[in-house]
Amino acid sequence: MRRSDLGEFEEIVLLTVAVLTPNAYSVVIAEELEAQTGHTVTTGAVHAALQRLEDKGLVNSQMGEATAERGGRRKRLFTVTVAGSRVLHEVQAVRDRLWQRILPNALPKIDLA
Amino acid sequence: MNNKEKNHFHPPPRWLDWLLERFCAPHLWEEVQGDLHERYQLRIKRTSKAKANWLYFREALSYLRPSAFKRHYSPQPSFADMIRNYLTIAWRNLLKNKAFSSINIAGLALGMTCTLLIMFWIQDEYSVDAFHTHKNQLYRIYERQFFSGKAQGVIWTQGPLAEELKEEIPEIEMATAFSWTNYQAFTVGNKTNKQGINTAGPDFFKMFSFPLLQGNVETALKDVNNLAISRKMAEAFFGSPEAAIGKTIRYDNRKDLIITAVFENIPQNSTLQFDCLRSWEAYVQDNEWAKGWDSNDPLTFFMLRVDADPAKVEAKLKHFTDKYIPDPNKTFRTELGIQPFHEYYLNSNFENAQVAGGRIKYIHLFTIVAVFILLIACINFMNLATARSAKRAKEVGVRKAIGAIRSALTGQFLSEAMLLTILAVGLSLLLVFVLLPFFNSLTDKHMTIPVTNISFWGIVAGMTFITGLLAGSYPAFFLSSLNPVNVLKGTLKFTSGSLWFRKGLVVFQFALSTILIIGMIIIYRQIEYVQTKNLGYSRENLIYFPLEGNLDKGYGILKEQLSQISGVKQVSHITESPASLNWGTDGISWPGSDPTNRVRFTPVGVGYDFVETMNLKMKEGRDFSKKFATDSTGFLINESALKAIGYKNPVGKFLNWGNHQGKIIGVIKDFHFQSLHTPIRPLIAYLRNQHREGSIMVRIETGNTQRTLSEIETVCKKLNPEYPFTYYFTDQEYARQYHSEQVISRLSNYFAGLAIFIACLGLFGLGSFSAEQRAKEIGIRKIVGASVGQIVLLFSADFLKLIVVAMLIAVPVAWYAVNEWLQGFAYRTEISWWIFVLAGIVTLVITILTISFQSIKAALQNPVKSLRTE
Repeated sequence: MRRSDLGEFEEIVLLTVAVLTPNAYSVVIAEELEAQTGHTVTTGAVHAALQRLEDKGLVNSQMGEATAERGGRRKRLFTVTVAGSRVLHEVQAVRDRLWQRILPNALPKIDLA
Repeated sequence: MNNKEKNHFHPPPRWLDWLLERFCAPHLWEEVQGDLHERYQLRIKRTSKAKANWLYFREALSYLRPSAFKRHYSPQPSFADMIRNYLTIAWRNLLKNKAFSSINIAGLALGMTCTLLIMFWIQDEYSVDAFHTHKNQLYRIYERQFFSGKAQGVIWTQGPLAEELKEEIPEIEMATAFSWTNYQAFTVGNKTNKQGINTAGPDFFKMFSFPLLQGNVETALKDVNNLAISRKMAEAFFGSPEAAIGKTIRYDNRKDLIITAVFENIPQNSTLQFDCLRSWEAYVQDNEWAKGWDSNDPLTFFMLRVDADPAKVEAKLKHFTDKYIPDPNKTFRTELGIQPFHEYYLNSNFENAQVAGGRIKYIHLFTIVAVFILLIACINFMNLATARSAKRAKEVGVRKAIGAIRSALTGQFLSEAMLLTILAVGLSLLLVFVLLPFFNSLTDKHMTIPVTNISFWGIVAGMTFITGLLAGSYPAFFLSSLNPVNVLKGTLKFTSGSLWFRKGLVVFQFALSTILIIGMIIIYRQIEYVQTKNLGYSRENLIYFPLEGNLDKGYGILKEQLSQISGVKQVSHITESPASLNWGTDGISWPGSDPTNRVRFTPVGVGYDFVETMNLKMKEGRDFSKKFATDSTGFLINESALKAIGYKNPVGKFLNWGNHQGKIIGVIKDFHFQSLHTPIRPLIAYLRNQHREGSIMVRIETGNTQRTLSEIETVCKKLNPEYPFTYYFTDQEYARQYHSEQVISRLSNYFAGLAIFIACLGLFGLGSFSAEQRAKEIGIRKIVGASVGQIVLLFSADFLKLIVVAMLIAVPVAWYAVNEWLQGFAYRTEISWWIFVLAGIVTLVITILTISFQSIKAALQNPVKSLRTE
C-alpha cells in the first residue's frame, strides 16, 4: 500500500536529503533540521519519516561506510529518486504559483529581519 | 581539549541500548544504534554528560514507534503477533459465550475477593506490635512454673526482675516492668474522668516506638510523681498536648502528678493499650509486695543489644531467679523463658509451660480457607473450559493442521486463561473496595487497600499469574493434546481419563465445600455452647462496678441504701470480677496434704450474700452469715477443691492458709469463674470485711433495668462523688472473653457460604453445558415417551452421584479437622452425627436446586425444536 501524499515533516526531510546528498543520513538530517528550525528533532522521527519516504519510493538507500564515532557501525545513506525529485518539484511549483497569486497587501506585514 | 580526548569514543548508557535492542527490528538495529551513538558523540562534545545522557534517553524513546518495530515479512509470525492473535480469539470467545464467561469471571472474581480479604486480615494480624523500631530486639519474659507435678507457663513476673536483668546480664540493654491496666479517676479542676493507667520503668519510651509529642524519652517516667498521657487524654483535660505538659493532675483523688510527657494516641495494632503511664517506682511505693521476689505481678520486657544472640541470653536466663527465691523444699520451681515481643499477640497460649500458638491457629485456618476457595474457583474454570472444549476442538484441529505446535496451543489457552484472570482480578479489586468497610465492621479492624504499597501490587500480580496458570493449565494441556485428524473428522470423544479427571475435580470441589460447611456448623455450635452453657451461676441481671474510693469504708451504708432500691435483689462484693477470677495461691494445706505437691487454689475474697447474689447452688453447708461471728475465719470451697482435698464430711473440718487456720462452712457446686478454655479449678472463698477490693456485685430484677441502674448510680455518686460511675453486665463481659471466637465464627459463616456458592456456580455452568450437549438425546427420549420427571432424574443423577462421593470423602476429613480445633477448649460441644447429615443435606439441596434449573429447562424443551436443527 503506497501512499502518494506527502506529510509536512516528510516533505522537509525529503528536501533535506536533497540538500545533503551525497551524505544524507538520519543524524546529519536531524542535526540540519534542528539548526534550521530551532526545535529539537530526534533521529527516531527522522528515521521513521525516511522509512515512509522509502516505502513511497521517493528515496533510495544503501549502507555507507562505518565510522569510529558510530562505534564501528555502518550508516544508511539516502538519495532522492526520480519520483522523489518529481514530487519535490511539484510541491515547489504549487507553492510558487500560490505565492505569486497573493495580492500585495493580503498578508499582514511582518518583520523579516 | 586535546586531540586524543576529542577522538575518544564515549559509550552511551548501556541499559538503553539493551532495552532498545529488545524492541527494534533486527534488520534496522545496526543503523539505528549507529545513529544513536554518533549523535551522542556529537552532543557530549557540545554539552554536559548529564544533558547528553538525558537527550540520549529521549532519542532512544523516539524509536519506540511501529516503524522501528516492524520486522521484515517472515513466514514465522513473531511472538507478539501470536499473542495478539490469541488475545483476539480469546476476546471473541468471551463475547460469544457471555453466560459462560460471566460464570467463569464471576466465580474467579469472588474467589479472589475472598482471598484478598483474608490476605488483608492476615496481614493486619501480623502487623500487630510490628511497628516498633527496635522490633527485633524487644522480648518479653515468661515464666515456666513447676508445681504439683505440673508445669504452667505464665507471662506475669516478679517486680524487681527488670532492674535485676539489666544489672546482671550485659546483653540486655534496657528493661522495664509493665503493670496491668487499671481504671482510675483523674481530676483537673472540676473535670473528672476514668482513664486506663499502667506503670512502666524509665526505659519504656526508649524501647517502644510510641512517639512523644511533648517531653522527652529520657525524663518521661523518671520520677515518682511523673505521668505520661496520651494525646486524647491531654485534649480531654487540657485542650491540647502543648497545654498539658508540666501541668498537675489529681490521681485517684489522693495524689498530684506532674505531666512530663504526652505521647501520640496508641495505634490499634498495639497490644499495649493505655491512656497514661506512671513510673514503676510509684507503683512499688503503693504496693509493697511488688518489691519482693515471692509474688508475680507485672509483665517484664527487655531490649537486647543489637549484636546479642537471643539463644545465648535465653540459656543464661533459664535459672536466673533461683538465687533470688530461696526455696528449701523445692516444691515450686521457676524458669525464665523469652519470647520476641511482637510474636506474643499471635502466640499467647502455653502448653506444658511452652509457648504453643494462639491466634496463629486462626491465621493458619484462614490461609487454608483462602487457598480452598481459590482452588474451588480455579476448578470451576478448568471444568468449564474442558467441558466446552468440544466447541473449540475444530479450532485446535485447524491450528494443528496448518502447523501449530503443541507448545503454541498450550500458550494460546494459557494466555486465554490469563486474560480472564486479569478481568477477574480487576473485578475483585472493585469488589474488595466495596466490601472492605463491611469486612472491617465484621472483624473490628480498620483495614484499607494499600494502593501505594508496591509489594501489595506485587502480590496481586503474583496471585493473578498463579491463578491464571493454575486455572489454565489443565484446559491448555487437554486441548493441545487433541488429535487433529479425529477432531476434524468430527468424532471428538472425551477419553475416559479426561472424564474421570473432570469428575474428580467436581468431587474435590464439593468435598472442600462440605468440609467448610461442617467446620462452620461446628464453630457456630461451639460459640453457642459457650455462650449459653450453664455456668453454675446466673450471669443475667448481674451487674458489677469497681469497689473504689469511699466504697470500702462506706460499704455498710452502700449496701443498705442499694438494698432499698426496688429493683435490687442482693448486693455483695468480690475480689476481681464475677466474670473472671484469675488469682492463684499454693498456700492451702490440710491434715494429710502433700507438702511437696501443693494444689493450686483460686482464692476469692467475698462479702455476705455472696452465694445468693451470684445465684450459686450449695452442695453442703451454708453461705457466710452475720449470725456466726466465727465465719470471719471460715472458708467456702467448691466441689473441685473438695475433690482435691478429699474430705468425706467437709463442713466443720479445718484448712490451713499459710499460718492461718479456718473452718470449712460450706461447699459450693462447681461453677465457671474463668473462660471455658480452662477447666474449673479448686476455689477457696473467704470473708473479706475490711480492705475490700475488686467489684461490688448487684443482682437486679428483670425489667426496669434503666431505672434501677440510675438509682444505683445516684447512691454511688453520693458516697463517692469523686469517681464517675461505671458498671458492667456480667453476661456482656463474659461474652467478651470469646470475642475472637465470635469474629472467627462470623467469618467462617461467610466464607463457607461463598465457597459453596462458587462451587454451585461451576455446577450451574456444567449443568447448562451438558443440557446443551444432550439436547438431542433428551428430545429423542421424550419422543419415545419419557416423562419430564424421568428426564430430570436422569439428568440430576449424574451430578448427584458425584456429590455423594464428595461427601463421603469430606466427612472423615472434616471430623478430624474440627476435632483438632475443639481440643483447644476445655469444655466443648459434642460432634454429633446430625451435623454431618445436616451439612450433607444442605449441600445436596443446594446442588439439586442448582442442577434442577438446568435439567427442568432441558426436559421441558419441545423435542421438535432440538431435533429440527441440522
